[in-house]
Amino acid sequence: MRFVIQRDYLLQSVQDVMKAVTSRTTIPILTGIKIVATEDGVTLTGSDSDISIESFIPRVEDDKEIVEIKQTGAIVLQAKFFSEIVRKLPTSTVEIDVENHLQTVIRSGKSEFNLNGLDAEEYPHLPQISEENAFRIPTDLLKALIRQTVFAVSTSETRPILTGVNWKVENSELICIATDSHRLALRKARLETEADGKHNVVIPGKSLTELSKILDDTAAMVDIVVTENQVLFKTKHLLFFSRLLEGNYPDTARLIPNERKTDVVVNTKEFLHAIDRASLLAREGKNNVVKFSTIDGNSIEISSNTPEIGKVVEEIQTQSVEGEELKISFSAKYMMDALKALEGSEIQISFTGAMRPFVIRPLNDEAILQLILPVRTY
Amino acid sequence: MTKSWEELEELQPTVLKMLRNSLLKERVAHAYLYEGMRGTGKKEIGSLMAKCIFCLSPIEGYKPCETCLNCKRINNGNHPDIHLVEPDGLSIKKAQIHALQGEFAKTGVESKKKLYMIVHADRMTTNAANSLLKFLEEPHPGTMAILMTEQAQQILPTILSRCQIIGFTPLSPKNLEKQLVEQGVNPEAAPLFAQLTNNFEEALEFSQNDWFAQAQKIVVKLYEVLKKNSLEAMVTLQENWFGHFKEKEQIDRGLDLFLLIFKDLLYIQLGKNDQIVNLSERSRLEQYALQTTGRRLTEQMAAILEAKRKLHANMNPQLLMEELVLKLQEGSSLV
Repeated sequence: MRFVIQRDYLLQSVQDVMKAVTSRTTIPILTGIKIVATEDGVTLTGSDSDISIESFIPRVEDDKEIVEIKQTGAIVLQAKFFSEIVRKLPTSTVEIDVENHLQTVIRSGKSEFNLNGLDAEEYPHLPQISEENAFRIPTDLLKALIRQTVFAVSTSETRPILTGVNWKVENSELICIATDSHRLALRKARLETEADGKHNVVIPGKSLTELSKILDDTAAMVDIVVTENQVLFKTKHLLFFSRLLEGNYPDTARLIPNERKTDVVVNTKEFLHAIDRASLLAREGKNNVVKFSTIDGNSIEISSNTPEIGKVVEEIQTQSVEGEELKISFSAKYMMDALKALEGSEIQISFTGAMRPFVIRPLNDEAILQLILPVRTY
Repeated sequence: MTKSWEELEELQPTVLKMLRNSLLKERVAHAYLYEGMRGTGKKEIGSLMAKCIFCLSPIEGYKPCETCLNCKRINNGNHPDIHLVEPDGLSIKKAQIHALQGEFAKTGVESKKKLYMIVHADRMTTNAANSLLKFLEEPHPGTMAILMTEQAQQILPTILSRCQIIGFTPLSPKNLEKQLVEQGVNPEAAPLFAQLTNNFEEALEFSQNDWFAQAQKIVVKLYEVLKKNSLEAMVTLQENWFGHFKEKEQIDRGLDLFLLIFKDLLYIQLGKNDQIVNLSERSRLEQYALQTTGRRLTEQMAAILEAKRKLHANMNPQLLMEELVLKLQEGSSLV
């Protein structure tokens, strides 16, 4: 393998794939970055076996030659050293040359590095992509989907399946659900694809957080391909693979109550700030619980009482309170997480009794829903 | 390091026969427990088993080809769907089992098959073992566990009952001898080490140990003194023996060595010259063999075995050795 490449492009790619490489791995080859040179360009791959990131540098872009391929081939180089080397190279072009078998020479200007490579054949094989199963959504929507659901995944390993977000594709609609069995976040999005493939997979929350970090805020489309073992997110030059969680996701449809007894419409920001203030005193106690009660007319009361510290009461004006009177307690943290994830200035909270889960959704928007289980105090 | 199916078959014929049958009949268990002494090839057979399962083009339907990508990667520890857990320090911690469980909650990287090996499974902490239990109880389809241990009785019975236990036979001395010679141990000394221990690593340690070389000399000298001048034997004991063999274990080793000399003498008398282990002393031993009778040799060996028994019953070492020396001289005049 031998090629000459523009350093800036290489550096950007290396930085992208480095996000997937960890030093804590039991598989020695995963400490490396795989570099493959073909006639079309150079592909870099980094992986920690949970997620894998592939970055492609085309030979020519915008009529500018980025890579000059002299000989095709593949090699795995130690990620830690390779990334540092690339960052500190003196000139803007780099030559990478694999000499006899695994000896790799990196030349730039007058500096020359010799690195011992590893056999690229030993690197884990990423699934081959078949384009048929793909569906596409814009990057910014994808990021919103992730942001609005991933916070609700479980952090406890007792039920591993809940550490992921359930992605369902049905009738050109994507439904993302995350729950840790105390709260639930659901987000729907219409797909603009004609393909009516059906999928039901669980993607680890950590992978989605990582994905959201490497995507930039553009309206460019992301191709999403679901394979048997992995899910692939494909942008122009970046491929992001993630392993899936094994098992069946619990059926969450029954959890969401249909009837409602009390409806409250309130300004999101005001409500969020009131909860935040009330939680100041609640936070000291372990449970972080605030009380919510409807009072006469169009207002509600948020209060919290920790006997050893003190108590706080705040009244908020609402747009409307309909239905039965209600007193309920819930975790301030869950409520704030949910409110931060919602879009829209007005939200509607629908209760079905003090012991039943309640639903929060933006006014006139069915695409997103947050569900929280109350805490038993009254 | 890696050994082929044939090499391992020589080492553990029964185990490999079992594995072959289960592979051919597609009745591979979801969890195995390999039990056997150190150096009996548990880890090698574990990795062989992994290759059998993951190999892309197995020979005759079960033997790994050793040339395909998966075989090569398993040999180099690079296969992403195979996980090896080894004690972190003294024990296998709960966090390690948790990491393993996290790994197995996800789909395989490449295939639907996943395999994990736990080396020294007896060193799992109670917490770790209990976490593993849940995991062993409800195996995901396509996952397989290989636990390895030297002491099966130290493993939780609840874990034992969920594994198919495969007992590894101890190595035969001849086999060990061969291994030692391959490792560069002097072919003259190898049979002796192989006789003394069943354990390859321990034998290798003996071969590199000064203490051991010295011990051998002292033992031979004691025998010679006994032969030549029985009165001097007590003096030799004081001069050499007690200074060198201090601990109980060391005395035990010394007695073992001593016993081997008598064993060799007996073999020489019986004409089984290929069984001799003290090869370096062979010519001298052959001479001595002419001067004694088989009956006497057996009596002397019995005396040594008796001394060994008394040693474990915590007899005073000095009295023990002196008594032994007197017994060995029995029949010859004390003047």
